[in-house]
Formats: sequence, C-alpha cells, structure tokens
Amino acid sequence: MKRYGEHRFPGKLFVVEGIDGSGKSTQLALLHQWLQAEGYGTVFSEWNSSPLVREITKRGKKKKMLTPATFCLIHATDFADRMEHNIIPLLKAGAVVLCDRYIYTAFARDVVRGMDSKWVREIYGFAVKPTGAFYLRVPLEVAMKRLLDGRNGFKFYEAGMDLGLSDDEEESFRVFQGRILEEYEKIVPEFDLTMVDATLPIEEQQAQMRQIVKARLAQAKRLRVAP
Amino acid sequence: MRETYGVVLPGMNLAELTGKVIVIEGTDGVGRSTQTRLLKPWLEQQGRAVLETGIKRSQLAGSGIRKAQEGHTLGRTTLSLFYATDFADRLEKEIVPALRAGFVVLTDRYIFSLMARAIVRGVDPAWVRNAYSFALKPDAVFYLRIGVEDLIPRVVFSRGFDYWESGMDLHPSEDMYDSFQKYQMALLAQFDKLAEEYGFEVIDASADIRTVFKQLQAGITRVLAGEPREPLFSPARTRPAEEGEAKVLEMPASKPHAVAADQGEGDGAVPQAVAKAADGDAST
Repeated sequence: MKRYGEHRFPGKLFVVEGIDGSGKSTQLALLHQWLQAEGYGTVFSEWNSSPLVREITKRGKKKKMLTPATFCLIHATDFADRMEHNIIPLLKAGAVVLCDRYIYTAFARDVVRGMDSKWVREIYGFAVKPTGAFYLRVPLEVAMKRLLDGRNGFKFYEAGMDLGLSDDEEESFRVFQGRILEEYEKIVPEFDLTMVDATLPIEEQQAQMRQIVKARLAQAKRLRVAP
Repeated sequence: MRETYGVVLPGMNLAELTGKVIVIEGTDGVGRSTQTRLLKPWLEQQGRAVLETGIKRSQLAGSGIRKAQEGHTLGRTTLSLFYATDFADRLEKEIVPALRAGFVVLTDRYIFSLMARAIVRGVDPAWVRNAYSFALKPDAVFYLRIGVEDLIPRVVFSRGFDYWESGMDLHPSEDMYDSFQKYQMALLAQFDKLAEEYGFEVIDASADIRTVFKQLQAGITRVLAGEPREPLFSPARTRPAEEGEAKVLEMPASKPHAVAADQGEGDGAVPQAVAKAADGDAST
C-alpha cells in the first residue's frame, strides 16, 4: 500500500484541521457555501460519522470503555469506512469533498494518548492525500475562551480525562489540548499543511483559504445549473 | 520476558505478564472450537487457571462486526480495522489481565486468521503486519491444517455454506461451492506462508478428534513445562529456527523470579495456578 498516495480521481479533497475551538467548522461551512454557489458539486464528510461504526464509538465513549489503543483503532475503522464508501466514490464522481478533520487529527490525538507515532501513520496509510489541507492555528487560551463561551463543560474524551491528567475537567482539557497543539506543530511541516492564523478576522481567513482552493480546483466538475 | 511483534501499547508492562498464551489456529471448519472445548477442562483438571477467548468476542466491537456482516457492507480495510479493534479490546481487557494473574490463555484463533483473511482480500501484507504488531507473541501456535478436499464435506455436511466463509464478498458467483473452494484454497496458501514465517506447530487436522486432541495435549504439556518444541508434522520445515524456539527456551530462566514476586502478594485462587506453573518450570 502506498502511503497517502496522490489520487488520480477527477474530484478534489480539501481538509481542515485544528484543535477544538479553532473555528474549523465555521471556515468549512463558508467554503462549502461558496463552492456550491460557484456551481461545484460539494459534499461534506465529517470525522467520526460512519453510520456503521458511530454507534459503537458512541457507546464506547459513553461507557468509558476505550483505551488509547481501541480509541485509535475504532476511529481508524470509522475513517476507513468513510474512505471506502464515501470519500473515494465521491472523488471518482468528480465531487469536491470537504473534510472537517482528517488523518492528522488521529496523528495528533493518538500520539498524545501514547500510541507509537510511526505505527499510527502506517495504520492510516490507505488514506488519499488531500488536494489541500489547512491547519487553523490558534493559541490554547483563545480556543478555550471560545469553547467555554459557547457551552458548559467538556466531554470526557475531548478533555483527555481518560489520561488522568487532572481531576478538573478544564485543567485536563488545557493540558491535553496543549499537547495536541505541540503534535500539530510537528505534523504541519511533515505533511506540508497550509497554516492559517485563526486569530485573524473570519473573513480574512476565508479569503486566504478561497484563494488556495480556487487555484487547485482546475478541472473539477461544475454542475450545469447551480443549486 | 514476553514480547510483542513491534509496538507496545501504552500502559502495558510486559514483565508482569507471567501466564502463557496458547493459540489454536486454522481455517474455518477444521475443529478448532471442538478442540478448545476439550482442552479447557483438561488443563483445569491439572490445576491451571484457563481463560478461553476467540475473535469477535469483545465487548466493544464484537456485536458491531456481526451486525455489519449481516448487511455485508464492509470494505476490506474497514473490516480489517474492525477486527483489529476487537482484538485490541480483548487483548487489553481479557488476555493481559489473565496473563498478569498467571493464567493459561487459550485462544481460538489469534491475529493470524485475521491477517490471512485480510491478505487474501488484497490488503497490503506489510500494512497488515504493522497493524497487528502490538500483539503479544504467543508461547505456541498450533495450526490445525486440513486440505480443501477434506474440509468441504466437514463444513457443507454439517452447517452448509456461510457467506463470509465462502468469501462471497471476493468471488461473487452464483455458486457458493465454487466460491467456497477458491476462497478456502487462497486462505490455506496464506496460512501455510504464515506458518513458516511465524513458526507454527502444524497438526494434521484430517485425523479424528481424539488423535488431534492427543497431539495438542502433548504439545501443550511441553510448552507449559517450558521444553523446546518438536515439530509434530511440518510440510515446510525449512524455517530458520529463531523466534518460536528461542522464546520458549528462555522462559524457564525468567519465569520463576516473576512468579515468586507474585506469590508474595497472595491473591486468592490465582497463586495456586501460578505455583503450579512454577513447579512445571522448575522441573526442567
């Protein structure tokens, strides 16, 4: 199996990465809207959304049954199902596929959970290389403020509570996400992700991203009639 | 000390794992489950605490795999990773705790069946080896080997063809018989390769249940006593003598110390089994 082979399908794959609270989903939604308005067949694919595996992951998380190894493998299973049944067929059909999180999320999280970094990268060797991958870089404090304003508290695994870093959720989240940020700093040069300063105004970030996406869309199919 | 095939999972202390891992491998319908059922009470009669386990039995993923298979919707990479998840869950939640307590873990299939199935389905062998490289190296793998010509009547005349056992996802054909034959032959070829690479002890499973059972008893007795293995029946005996043998040989030296430390803790029913294991080792 080639590692992260360049796909030769007519479609395009753009992914957005970053810690929780970096504004990924906002930016991706704006990209989505714009691409559709431009007449491209655009489809979303979210992390952890395979109908097949989602229930198991949900149950495992709820019952706190997951260890670093099974957390890693169940997410890889979910991703494989989406790759095989969703992303690749869509790329074959010529769609523009947008992913909220991609393999780099796994590289960051699983390694922080203690999994071997080379092993995790090999596990995801079946993934296709994105046409463009953005990393929304944000300082921890900014991300935390955004998250705490929007809701109350963190989920168990999201805060890395399984690692026993701290009994306090907020403190655990801070330490865990801080380590994830460090991992991303290694991933960005390794996989040549495009860094976006996520503290800039939303529209500025979006303009930067659109410019790059536009340049790489080349022969992607447009629908005859914009939806 | 116990080893893995590569990476060690977080939180796993190999030095604590004093029990033994005995694997019964083989293609579908060779009689693995029958033998496992016979071996457990036999070992228990000798005072060994036994954990019996097998694939698709994890709390986390077992029922999910079965459900997904009913819909026949799994891609090959997805299926491989699903099985790897199931295996990791059982390894961490069942096998490792049992080994820590000095149990004999008797497992009906191990990573090898999973590897063979994935490779036959076209998954890159190097990827598969890496994926399972967190598995513990067993103390012995008994491979119940049977030719397709002997296998067909056993499977077909007892329970009929099964969709997955016939590799219908691979050789879609109106005819389950053709598909079964092709698939099982491909699996067999893969198993033979793995047998050589990983140094399985091969047992001719076309013999009757009692004969196979006796051979397994002899083999397991030897492994538990920490004696070096003798090949029982090996079509491919050109394998370089490394991993399997070396590991078994080093056991007696490293084991009693670990056991002595364990006994000090005094932990109910378990130390009995552990003490028994220590006797076996000391006698060599």
